[in-house]
Amino acid sequence: MIYGKLWLVVKPTVGIPLFLSAVAISSFLVHYMLLTHTTWMPKYYEGNMKKTASIEAPASIAAAPPTTLVAAAPATK
Amino acid sequence: MAESKSDPNKVWPTGLTEAESEEIHRNVIQGTQIFGFIAVLAHLFAYIYSPWLK
Repeated sequence: MIYGKLWLVVKPTVGIPLFLSAVAISSFLVHYMLLTHTTWMPKYYEGNMKKTASIEAPASIAAAPPTTLVAAAPATK
Repeated sequence: MAESKSDPNKVWPTGLTEAESEEIHRNVIQGTQIFGFIAVLAHLFAYIYSPWLK
């Protein structure tokens, strides 16, 4: 395996905790930087922000009934 | 377990043999792969089932 001899020169008791903490710290930093530098990550972490159905504005309502009646032409055969 | 600096298979400064080093490395690589797989899966689920980026 490539780099399999790494642990001949690096003590596993030092190298493995170092590697794991590097992974933990870097992944924390990536998420923290996304939280502080984007607009969508805080919204996502806030949670419970699903868009609810918005109330539609009522359609225009006639202020008054029509004053003139228009007679319809009789139906022809 | 006889441990001495005269063991010809041991390599210093760590005092491990090549076989031991390879075995440790196999486990480190496998652990990394499993961690990566779980992380990818977690991001995928977060993307699918949350309002992330929507």
